[in-house]
Amino acid sequence: MASRKKSLLKVIILGDSSVGKTSLMNQYVNKRFSNQYKATIGADFLTKEVVVDDRVVTMQIWDTAGQERFQSLGVAFYRGADCCVLVFDVTAPNTFKNLDSWRDEFLIQASPRDPEHFPFVVLGNKVDLENRAVSQKRAQQWCQLKNDIPYFETSAKEGINVEYAFQTIAKNALAQEAEVELYNEFPDQIRLNADRNNRPRNADNCQC
Amino acid sequence: MYPWNSAAYNSNLLTIQRTIPPNGYDDQDKLLSDALGIVRSQAFQMKRCLDKTRLMDALKCASTMLAELRTSLLSPKSYYELYMAITNELCHLELYLLDEFQKGRKVADLYELVQYAGNIVPRLYLLITVGLVYIKTNSALKRSILKDLVEMCRGVQHPLRGLFLRNYLLQCTRNILPDVVQAEDENEGNVFDAIDFVLMNFAEMNKLWVRMQHQGHSSEKSRREKEREELKILVGTNLVRLSQLESATLETYQKLILPGILEQVVSCRDAIAQEYLMECIIQVFPDEFHLQTLDPFLKSCAQLQSGVNVKNIIISLIDRLAAYNQRNEKAAGVEEGASVIPAEVQLFDVFSVQIANIVQTRTDMPLEDTISLQVALVILAQKVYPDRVDYVDKVLETTTQILERLNLNNISHFLSVNQELSRLLRICVDFYNNALTIIQLKNFCPLLDKFDYTSRKSLALYIVMNILENETFIPTADETDSVLAMLTPLIKDEEDQQQQQTTQEKIDPEDFAEEQGIVARFVHLLESDDPDMQYKILQAARKHLGLGGPQRIKHVLPPLVFAAYQLAFKYKSIADKDQMWDKKCQKILQYCHSTIAVLAKAELPELALRLYLQGALIIDQIAYTNHETVAYDFMTQAFSLYEDEISDSKSQLAAITLIIATCEQMTCFSEENAEPLRTNCALAASKLLKKPDQCRGVVTCASLFWSGKKAGEEMRDEKRTLECLKKGARIASQCIDPSVRVQLYVELLNHYLFYFERGNSLITVAMLNQLITKINEELPTLDSSEETKQIEMHYKNTLVHIRSRMESNDSTLEISFAGITLN
Repeated sequence: MASRKKSLLKVIILGDSSVGKTSLMNQYVNKRFSNQYKATIGADFLTKEVVVDDRVVTMQIWDTAGQERFQSLGVAFYRGADCCVLVFDVTAPNTFKNLDSWRDEFLIQASPRDPEHFPFVVLGNKVDLENRAVSQKRAQQWCQLKNDIPYFETSAKEGINVEYAFQTIAKNALAQEAEVELYNEFPDQIRLNADRNNRPRNADNCQC
Repeated sequence: MYPWNSAAYNSNLLTIQRTIPPNGYDDQDKLLSDALGIVRSQAFQMKRCLDKTRLMDALKCASTMLAELRTSLLSPKSYYELYMAITNELCHLELYLLDEFQKGRKVADLYELVQYAGNIVPRLYLLITVGLVYIKTNSALKRSILKDLVEMCRGVQHPLRGLFLRNYLLQCTRNILPDVVQAEDENEGNVFDAIDFVLMNFAEMNKLWVRMQHQGHSSEKSRREKEREELKILVGTNLVRLSQLESATLETYQKLILPGILEQVVSCRDAIAQEYLMECIIQVFPDEFHLQTLDPFLKSCAQLQSGVNVKNIIISLIDRLAAYNQRNEKAAGVEEGASVIPAEVQLFDVFSVQIANIVQTRTDMPLEDTISLQVALVILAQKVYPDRVDYVDKVLETTTQILERLNLNNISHFLSVNQELSRLLRICVDFYNNALTIIQLKNFCPLLDKFDYTSRKSLALYIVMNILENETFIPTADETDSVLAMLTPLIKDEEDQQQQQTTQEKIDPEDFAEEQGIVARFVHLLESDDPDMQYKILQAARKHLGLGGPQRIKHVLPPLVFAAYQLAFKYKSIADKDQMWDKKCQKILQYCHSTIAVLAKAELPELALRLYLQGALIIDQIAYTNHETVAYDFMTQAFSLYEDEISDSKSQLAAITLIIATCEQMTCFSEENAEPLRTNCALAASKLLKKPDQCRGVVTCASLFWSGKKAGEEMRDEKRTLECLKKGARIASQCIDPSVRVQLYVELLNHYLFYFERGNSLITVAMLNQLITKINEELPTLDSSEETKQIEMHYKNTLVHIRSRMESNDSTLEISFAGITLN
């Protein structure tokens, strides 16, 4: 089939609450930062057009709630992700420790075709703060162990490395997409004899 | 404007009926995968059509795909998954249209065109998608299209479908909501239009969500509530959207946004919605806004339905503000104690007043929740105003008043109110980690008194453990008084103690001893650097601890006596600075004397005896005026306890041994006092009941005449020393049991050797030989047993010692060991 001109990339940002997921996205998309803390509930996305290797792609960046109680409907939005960004706060060791469970959770819920090589990117955020508690080396070691995940040290506040990190994210996501496109996207075979009326649809015959 | 629209709107309203899926949610997976299959195939067709620029066909596929969202068979979570899959595909349609429009290939009347879709759900999804493309390519349409879309969505009144449709509207408009105070072109709209738009969408979604509660059979209430719980996030997203508007200032929030939300929340009269949305407000809006809107927010809390857990809402707000304060303090590096909360915000007072208001209006609130609110207030005061002890005290006062109003006393430890109240007090103890601060809380003890005995005691124990862990020294008499008053349940019996203990099993004596041991450890922390103050402290402590009864004073008075002895030494050490030291020592010893007398009267003679003897030794060392008389009195007190109170023979031997040892150490006695003591010791020893005890006691007396003091020197009375040994030997020979006899001989041999080596010239080698011969004769006849082995070992070691002396060439040895026959 002919490839459409524009690609749509889906990127999911995960991590503990208040590590700066929303701030990173806002810094990247709107070039804005605010010290005010607003908890994210549920999940929604911002889009941004990026140029990767001379291709214009639309990146759909999903910001998510770090607190599980704010995901009452589950995490169906993980499905179809092209890249997963794991964020931790370099001043809070616990948020780093939890990366493992975020990664596992994502792989289980999103069930990508090739979990071994699914593109992750790790961001150690808040490097502008003084009371750092997770060293660069420690973070890099973890990333190496997990199949060489790219690691960036960022500051959403100062805009350090944010643009660069998201460029990499876009690039890796696109590589993933290209791979997926290799698989035939054809839907299930069409059964001509299938009696579709058997499906118990809209039992109430509601017109809406 | 859209005639077909109003018709559809009405007809839909008429046909709405919520039905329960006939088969429940059993085959969700199957239903969902069927639906997703159709979505996949239609999406594929749609994209193919788009690739071939057959827009109308593509729209038709999209519409068929969207029709899957008309189902009533899916649970919220499955529906959400379907919705995600479909809206993801709609993005492709949107991107295609946007591309076409930007290239100038604008499709005429597309906005009208999609409205021909047969069913309203697909129609509105398509309308939103297309409307968005219109807005993105011509922002002058923004204001009117947004208004139109949010109105049109009223067409779907089925709760689940309506909620998701409006969620799609919210998601799509995220990037394009007008976020400027004043637009250049008013058709583009401004932030107030955005607020109207979201508030309206919010109101509609909330209505749909609340309506779910009242549809369907009552037997499915719990399932419905679970579903509502899952769907809450969709309603909450409206509030998130409002919080994302950058041009909405604090003023806008105060005047438009918050009142708009609160009006909906209060008027919907639905407990689930109210509880969630209040929590949501707290979470999604910034702290800076909350701080300036505490009054309206908390006032609304008082108006919520009776089923709403207001406590949790307020605690959540307090937690958030306290965390904000801490975070910013750290960031701003403010001095400790200072707060980053703006000075004009009287955080504590506002909460205090509003919580009182809530407690008053919500008469149905359980008492434990009322107390939980007080706990939250204390936490707020401590985190934001750490040095305002008065704030904490005020909360304790309020709590006490609440209990008094309800006439609650003796609150049982089985009640959940008790748990919350205990938590309140424990939080205070833990926060300050200083009992001295706790006693500054004037209302701490009155509140403590409201508990039943068991809880009072466990709280007292909690406090005393805290004191020990933090090594909090109690440096004044007044503070000693207050702290001990707080610990009363550990210090003495209480009126309500008996009735509670009879209802439970009796207290385990080991537990009791452990608990009193803890109090005894605490006594050592009653300490001031100023000796005069220390004396007052001891007096204050004595008053409290003296009331404990025999079981307690056994544990807690001895440390007081030792503290007093220490204090006497301290005065001695500053004798050159304090002229009154002499008098003060007399007083202290008097204090000890009377304290020990209390123990003696409490049928604790052995303990009292030891403390008297210890006292005598200390008086001897301190040597203040008249000390000989006092020391003699201490000795005689010990003696009379020995004679009158101690009857067990084992205890008698132990006691007399201690008395003899003390006598031997004393230096202050003139012969007039020393002689009767020595004679009485010897007499008492010889009067012991059992022969072996007699033997050992008498032999110990030998030291009185050898190293006992006379005019400051050792006596070295060779004759009387030997007499004691000889008497011992005679008594030993009267023992019938051969094993005991041999054992005593070995011990005697050691005593003889001791004085022989020290140079008692009356002890001869012949005497030693005689003893050795006796032992050599009798030892082999003993039955072999563990005891015999020990005796043999003792004897062997003794012989080794003698041999080493005999072989030694040490010329400094005054005594000749020559002539001792070892075999």
